[in-house]
Amino acid sequence: MPLLARRTPTLALLIAFVLATPSVGWAKLTQEYDLKAAFLFHFAQFVDWPADALPAGNSPFTIGILGHDPFGKSLDEIVANETVQGHKLLVRRFQNVDQVDSCHILFIDPSESVRMDQILSRLKGRSILTVGETKDFALRSGVIGFVLLEKRLRLAVNLAAANAARLTISSKLLRQSQIVGPVRVQ
Amino acid sequence: MNHFQLARTAVPAGTRLRFLRRLAHGTVLIAFLFAPLRAFAETEHAVSPPEALKRLSLEELFDLEVTSVSKKSEPVSKTAAAVHVVTADDIHRMGVLTIPEALRYIPGVEVARVDSRSYAITARGFNGTVANKLLVLMDGRSVYTPLYSGVFWDVQDAFIEDIEQIEVIRGPGATVWGANAVNGVINIISKSAASTQGFLVAGGAGDVERGFGGVRYGGALGSQAFFRVYAKDYDRGPSQFANGQEVGDASRMYQGGFRADWTPTTADGITVQGDLYRSSIDRRKSDPTDMTGGNALARWTKRFSEASHLQLQGYFDRTKRDVPSTFAEALQTYDLSLNHRFAAAARHDVVWGLGFRLTDDDVSTSPVLGILPPHLTHRLYTGFIQDEIALTADRFYVTIGSKIEHNDYTDFEYQPSVHVAWTPTPQQTIWGAVSRAVRAPSRIDRDFFAPAQPPYFLVGNPDFDSEVLNAFELGYKSHPMAELTTSVSTFYNVYEKLRSLETGPPYFLSNGLDGRTYGVEAEAACQVTGRWRLSAGYTFLRLILDVDPSSTDTGTQRQEDDSPRHQAFGRSSLTLPHDLSLDAGVRFVDELPHQKISSTTVCDARLGWQPSKAVEVEVVGQGLFDPRHPEFGTPASRREIERSFYGKATCRF
Repeated sequence: MPLLARRTPTLALLIAFVLATPSVGWAKLTQEYDLKAAFLFHFAQFVDWPADALPAGNSPFTIGILGHDPFGKSLDEIVANETVQGHKLLVRRFQNVDQVDSCHILFIDPSESVRMDQILSRLKGRSILTVGETKDFALRSGVIGFVLLEKRLRLAVNLAAANAARLTISSKLLRQSQIVGPVRVQ
Repeated sequence: MNHFQLARTAVPAGTRLRFLRRLAHGTVLIAFLFAPLRAFAETEHAVSPPEALKRLSLEELFDLEVTSVSKKSEPVSKTAAAVHVVTADDIHRMGVLTIPEALRYIPGVEVARVDSRSYAITARGFNGTVANKLLVLMDGRSVYTPLYSGVFWDVQDAFIEDIEQIEVIRGPGATVWGANAVNGVINIISKSAASTQGFLVAGGAGDVERGFGGVRYGGALGSQAFFRVYAKDYDRGPSQFANGQEVGDASRMYQGGFRADWTPTTADGITVQGDLYRSSIDRRKSDPTDMTGGNALARWTKRFSEASHLQLQGYFDRTKRDVPSTFAEALQTYDLSLNHRFAAAARHDVVWGLGFRLTDDDVSTSPVLGILPPHLTHRLYTGFIQDEIALTADRFYVTIGSKIEHNDYTDFEYQPSVHVAWTPTPQQTIWGAVSRAVRAPSRIDRDFFAPAQPPYFLVGNPDFDSEVLNAFELGYKSHPMAELTTSVSTFYNVYEKLRSLETGPPYFLSNGLDGRTYGVEAEAACQVTGRWRLSAGYTFLRLILDVDPSSTDTGTQRQEDDSPRHQAFGRSSLTLPHDLSLDAGVRFVDELPHQKISSTTVCDARLGWQPSKAVEVEVVGQGLFDPRHPEFGTPASRREIERSFYGKATCRF
């Protein structure tokens, strides 16, 4: 490549310039659970609940965490002062599936993985958007599973489970998601 | 840029991902222009706070990188300066029915409609009806023809609602994609079968688009496998001469296809897909041009770990084009490729690949023109390796690589590149690249004879060599706030051994031209409010050709004039109350002096009404400002593009 060879000094100069630039160690990084918290917040907007499952009157729209809380303050910070269809958002922590009374989105921490099938079957028939991150969460009839792929967060969505819970998931979410489990044409 | 989509689809999945990232990172010159950036670099940025995250759109959230998985932290991915992605939403909001029309609002790309069916499309200059410096792939399958190193756009169709995105990479991509990825690469990527479940029925009609319709059905085969099948057709009216007289080139096309995706384990993915089409274009006083084609592709992707993937892909493609009493070509392509990505050490991210392609063509000649020999089998062997080296974690990457190919015309070709990326702040990336790319000879360059018997008027050249590009690129991309993205790309391309037409008799093709192009492409997109999106772009291009002392070519002025010097566009997408949406685009294309086409401003608009998720009705108008306007061709023979309208209804269930 004669021409490339002729240009090499120019390139070398450019590289030298860049190398000479003082390096400041920083990058825009996202903490995994901050990002997951942001997704939980977005789910409230991109999923439709049946009318009878929405909060009555002034009661809040509830995002629950079952088991260990991996979010720290981030989920609380994200939902602070936010509303969903006129309802204030509330974060509640549950230690046991039997405590889950009024709840719209429920994040089930991996700490509950040994009881996962039991938990999911207890919630069956209720319009709760179950979210998890254990392996095959959505395949095991959770509605949305967080999956990390190429360092980015992806969603595995079980549409049959969503249908059974009478939840409608926006195509905007589905577009970026992997559909798992039996698919029923809506 | 959605790297997830990039990663899981089409060609060297990992490869392309790497390559785009590399483009996103890069060199430098602009650093001199943007010296104040150094000030930004002093600012310590930690992690984006949770409250900032909730303001981001879904797309942006999906695009964020998570730190906790891999300790190798990387900057938030950004669209590289020379990459433009047309999303499914863009295609929908433009209301376009064809792939070429979806490429209209992209800086650096020239799209000129020649008549109702043909387009002249290129990036960064050298446009023509047989433009030959752009590589086009559909789901990893090359649709470039070795007949003239270009693309027959009139048979590249897809079920438009099932296109996930169209990635347009300006500048050479030869290190990864190989010969003919000279001025740019276009990747048309379809949605996975899992995301196209259920019925979709769409159809409509208009004055030029006399009727079009299609049906797609997607279903599941168990819990891990999904499929879809589709069929579509259209009937398009003829184009017109400048005086309004009809050309008689009405056309129709029928196409069907399928795609199936199977994920037997979380680490394996298998895709099988295929299409079949038949099309014809009327001709005055002659039998219609008849085109048929089909393809089948299978791809297996194996994921060993976060940083290690293997992909094996094979496809078969057959096309046939019969222009009665002029020329007929049947082409069969068999292609096999393997790509592997792995982390060689903490700082090295390596991709390598091997490929083999066999093309087998049969060209029927007529008294008018001949391609000799009429039957030719060509073998292309390729290999490439590319290493992305993180010199400073998160901030400074250098990527070096090369493709080595062997083709039957010119033996070995090497196509190396160096990319440098520097991310001084999370909101901006400066990149640069130096690359070499070649355009290998085509059948026309080597084997062309007109007429088919001596005395010849024009002949190809058995010694025709590859055209060579050495490209120098610099770009700057910034994302100053969640709602605004901007990018500027510049390039200086030096071409050697470009095709010349040597004066006869007979006239013959040779490599008698050298050339330089330089240009600037700028674009900005702004989400003004949740319901209103604006975007704008500008392209400057200068093309200078030099005739070798030994050459007698006299057509350089014409070629220089075939690409507009300035192009600009603005687009607005507005979501209105009552389930309405309104989109409008205005584009300016500078004059093409040799063709005596003056500068034009063209307006396209779309009004949509979507009363429910299942139903949408749209009305689209194209070329609204003038009753008709020319886009390409010399005055004597050229067709003009009429102002046209069509309505479309889409139903999903």
